Amino acid sequence: MNRDKWLISGPPLFYLVVFFVIPTLIMVIASFRYAGEYGGLAPVLLHDANGTHLNLTLESYQEYFSDFIYTRLFIKTLVYALITTFFCLVFAYPLALMIARSEKKRRDLLVLLVILPFWSNFLIRIYAWMIILGPQSAFTVALNGFLGLFGMNPVRLLFTPFAVVVCLIYVQLPFMVLPLYANLEKHDPALLDAAQDLGANGWQRFWRVTFPLSLPGIYAGVALVFVPVLGIFAVPDILGGTKGIMIGNLIKQEFLEARDWPFGSALSIILTLGAMAIVGGAALFARRRDV
Amino acid sequence: MRLFFLLLSFILPAYGADELHLYNWNNYIAPETVDRFESYCKCKVIQDYYSDNEELLAKLAAGARGYDILVPTGNALASLVKQGALLPLDKSKIPNLKNINPAYLNTPFDPGNRYSVPYAYTTTLIGYNVEKMKELGLPTDTWAVIFDPKYLVKVKGRVTVLDSQRELMAAALKYLGYSVNDIDEKHWYQAMHVILRAKPYWAAFNSSSYIKELTVGNIWLVQGYSNDMFQARNDARAAKRKFTIGFSLPREGAVLALDNMVIHKDAPRPDLALKFINFMLDGKNSSELTNMIGSGNPNLAAMKYINPEIASNPAIFPGKEELKKLEMLKDLDMEERRVLNRLWIKIKIE
Repeated sequence: MNRDKWLISGPPLFYLVVFFVIPTLIMVIASFRYAGEYGGLAPVLLHDANGTHLNLTLESYQEYFSDFIYTRLFIKTLVYALITTFFCLVFAYPLALMIARSEKKRRDLLVLLVILPFWSNFLIRIYAWMIILGPQSAFTVALNGFLGLFGMNPVRLLFTPFAVVVCLIYVQLPFMVLPLYANLEKHDPALLDAAQDLGANGWQRFWRVTFPLSLPGIYAGVALVFVPVLGIFAVPDILGGTKGIMIGNLIKQEFLEARDWPFGSALSIILTLGAMAIVGGAALFARRRDV
Repeated sequence: MRLFFLLLSFILPAYGADELHLYNWNNYIAPETVDRFESYCKCKVIQDYYSDNEELLAKLAAGARGYDILVPTGNALASLVKQGALLPLDKSKIPNLKNINPAYLNTPFDPGNRYSVPYAYTTTLIGYNVEKMKELGLPTDTWAVIFDPKYLVKVKGRVTVLDSQRELMAAALKYLGYSVNDIDEKHWYQAMHVILRAKPYWAAFNSSSYIKELTVGNIWLVQGYSNDMFQARNDARAAKRKFTIGFSLPREGAVLALDNMVIHKDAPRPDLALKFINFMLDGKNSSELTNMIGSGNPNLAAMKYINPEIASNPAIFPGKEELKKLEMLKDLDMEERRVLNRLWIKIKIE
């Protein structure tokens, strides 16, 4: 029995160790190393007259804390991620509920429609948003015509933080719908009937029965949306204009343009720790409330 | 990584056979030229692409191997030379080197051209919607139109600049009358202030989609590369737009980016690589790229094959006077890169 367990869980465990744990450790070590003159990393061991010693430094972390500008970018990224997560939840919940309560034979089709966007390339979908939000698109023209009716100035949609958040919500929405649906679909309809028999109205049935039961689905969806948004760089790169950059762009820039791998690694680690602290804190808070 | 390629060489019998691995910029060689080289050397050209020098350097720094020819720009070339990543060229195998205009030889990036031969060049300049600029009465021969709020108020939200630390900084430094390679931190701060003052009027930092935005008419004024402007102009023409796209070198001067063919020191087929270099230095072969994308051409023997409309454009083929004002970007050292990077983050976040 024990051997069978290892046979099954061994390969994925091995895969995770090799492709997740080891790269993370490399990143941690890299963040304490010096940058190589031409990019890459300086050697870990330094040989000189006094023998061989370790060539490590806290420089990259000092750089982060030396200027508040990095923390400001981090906070801005958090705000974008929170807004995205909030709207994903608000949009996804009714959708997931609708799918879960629809006829059984139609559900599969509806779920398929939710994941349909994944069939086309991520970047192509972002470029499509460039067209949708561009100044000459039907959407923008109609919106500005509407605003004009009230004597308001036309607005620009493309290359704004608004464009970034709209596209982030679009990209992440399925990741909220799917765990919510998986949870809501399992609810026993008899519970709602019982609540009704006991005199609960529609709102009470939702708020006292469905919603508490769906909390695990909400947690899963929030984590699936929130954490990836923190590291995303393609969306702000393409749609962000002069104000849209996020921490992911900075990390990419450190590895490519600045050729400063240690600082890029340090930023990644600070981001990972920050995300873990937030998710961990939220989980702790949720557990305390549940008890 | 090396092990990976070793394994690959067992799996793919064709590897190490008559194949030339070319790691080049996107859209930077004419397909007919490749076809002709393949039939001439009876080999296959395998192409891989990068979209900026940083991508090339990062990939090589991470251990990518198996490429014969690379086409780095001056500053990336200098970095590769200093790293000892290149193979010295056997000039006796490259008789066509005589075709190259001496003005483009012996650059500080590779003195004496030990490792590199010039391939093509672009300039970083101003592209614009001709009709809009006329209508608004804006000049098109100065960086002031990109940086001075006096002009920018008329084109607010219709301007993009390159999303590149070095290029944008270079333009601001030129606007202030400094060299693009000025590394005085005070001058960098001045340049940063010029950029921050202009930033509210810009729509975006954009290096990828400005060709399309110009062609469609969303954006009227951009900082960008000469070959991209050439494409934008042709695209606007082909789409029968009511406006035309123009481009010109600012009188303050600009960046010239000279791309060079080099052979990697671990190249599997240096013999084919030398053949390729000599082949590309032939006038006709070299002219095809220029006719296709409007890049500058350092090859004197190519001039007679080049479309006269391109050859007579001073923004693509700068004359003696213009050439004096053009500068090539030098590589920055680690400390300078950190300083510039921090300024850039301020520029992006403020």
